[in-house]
Amino acid sequence: MNYSELTRRYFETAGAAGVLSGGCVGRGAAGTRRAGTWVQFDIQLEPGGEPQRRILAARFLAFGCPHTIAVAAWVCERAAGTFCAAALPETAQALCRRFEVPAEKLGRLLVIEDAWAAAAAAAQATARVTIS
Amino acid sequence: MSAPVYLDYAATTPVDAGVAAQMAQCLTIEGTFGNPGSSSHEYGDRARSVVEAARSQVAAAVGAETSEVVWTSGATEANNLAIFGVANYYRDHGRHIVTARTEHKAVLDPCRELERRGWRVTYLVPDSSGIVDPAQIMRALERETVLVSLMHVNNEIGVVQDIEAVAALCARHGGVRLHVDAAQSFGKCHIDFASSGADLMSLSAHKAYGPKGVGALLVSARRGVQLEALQYGGGQERNLRSGTLATHQVAGMGAAFALATADATDIEGERCRIAALQSRLWRGIEALGGVLRNGAAAHCVPQLLNLSFEDVEGESLLAAVRPHLAVSTGSACASATNEASYVLRALGRDERLAESSLRFSLGRYTTEADIDRAIQAVADAVTRLRRIGGK
Repeated sequence: MNYSELTRRYFETAGAAGVLSGGCVGRGAAGTRRAGTWVQFDIQLEPGGEPQRRILAARFLAFGCPHTIAVAAWVCERAAGTFCAAALPETAQALCRRFEVPAEKLGRLLVIEDAWAAAAAAAQATARVTIS
Repeated sequence: MSAPVYLDYAATTPVDAGVAAQMAQCLTIEGTFGNPGSSSHEYGDRARSVVEAARSQVAAAVGAETSEVVWTSGATEANNLAIFGVANYYRDHGRHIVTARTEHKAVLDPCRELERRGWRVTYLVPDSSGIVDPAQIMRALERETVLVSLMHVNNEIGVVQDIEAVAALCARHGGVRLHVDAAQSFGKCHIDFASSGADLMSLSAHKAYGPKGVGALLVSARRGVQLEALQYGGGQERNLRSGTLATHQVAGMGAAFALATADATDIEGERCRIAALQSRLWRGIEALGGVLRNGAAAHCVPQLLNLSFEDVEGESLLAAVRPHLAVSTGSACASATNEASYVLRALGRDERLAESSLRFSLGRYTTEADIDRAIQAVADAVTRLRRIGGK
């Protein structure tokens, strides 16, 4: 399979691969290795009690195709400094276009979407616990 | 960055330079460009001489009679001619075929087509090492069986089937015809068509440093095998395969086969060299841990090494090694479909492990430095992907 230059770059560098620890870190995962795609995100929020807080850092682990790894890496890079939300910085359809992901692989981006939403919820929940 | 290391010799080989030179002599006005079917002038006579010399070279290389060699466009056509040719000719004797799930698509797809036409096909499942037990064949044979089609060397895992044993069973069972797809065999192991007991055998040139686009079907004369032709229009190749022969392709196949069998000492020396390289490759990659070998080593040709990698996704693995290595996942013919190898699935590998497999195939130009580069590339890719995957 041929990959776009963007996909190749993020797949080959995968700079945000890893895990985070410490306060205000939420973790969420989706998919299964058995099904061929599994993604986990760690999201670290800035400290504070505001309902809308910014993401300090995001990391991912992924078992999946090059598109899955590249998109997860890009999402982490793009998320830093933005307000934490359940939605990805772009919709799965827009990410498909950006990374030239074949239509039959849209399901894999939905796994990324689910993992991100779970991590964002966990991060926000962790922050609430920290505040109380 | 240097060019990727080529370890896909089972997909195809480069044409030997001497072979290419001989082919070139059959193309231009100064050479043997005539139509070998032209009997009215010297140009045709010379081309026909080249074709017949090549036929003799191929026959001598595989222990066949020259009259048993039928030129085709490659092993796929040879397989089609064998399967449909036998099926059409012997259809009044019965409509049952026995083959294996691990055959090449060039055998499986014709069998599927025959099923659509009302034939029954028994697909044998090999054991986990890739071997089809002759006893399985014996149990599968019926009164209606007219053909057994079994490959000699498997194109994905390199396992070698016991053709002689299967041939003996077929002979005992009222002379059921045995077709052997030997596209991968020549140059990797000894072929003697006469003593193999096979009725039909498919050969390919481009797996053995010859050109693409030419192959042959060996049709046993002494066993009196009959075939119905699949194409008509000229009556070439004893009416079995009409069409003007491509003199340069045929000459190339003859030259490649002659070259490969020219010196028995060289053949054994090369086999030992390849075996040592394959062993080095296996030891280097095995050290990573979580690597499974597909096909029993004791039954495989040394040119092929098929490995599955635990905790690594297949497409990512191939993408990661691609800048450094030219290898296959499954067979090259199946790669376009991006599906898990049906051969590995038939051996009992689960879908994930079948997808995360790489086939390394070594050849004449493979060096120790190539193997070391391959080990490093695989180690880097697997280690990185396992880290990204949290393993």
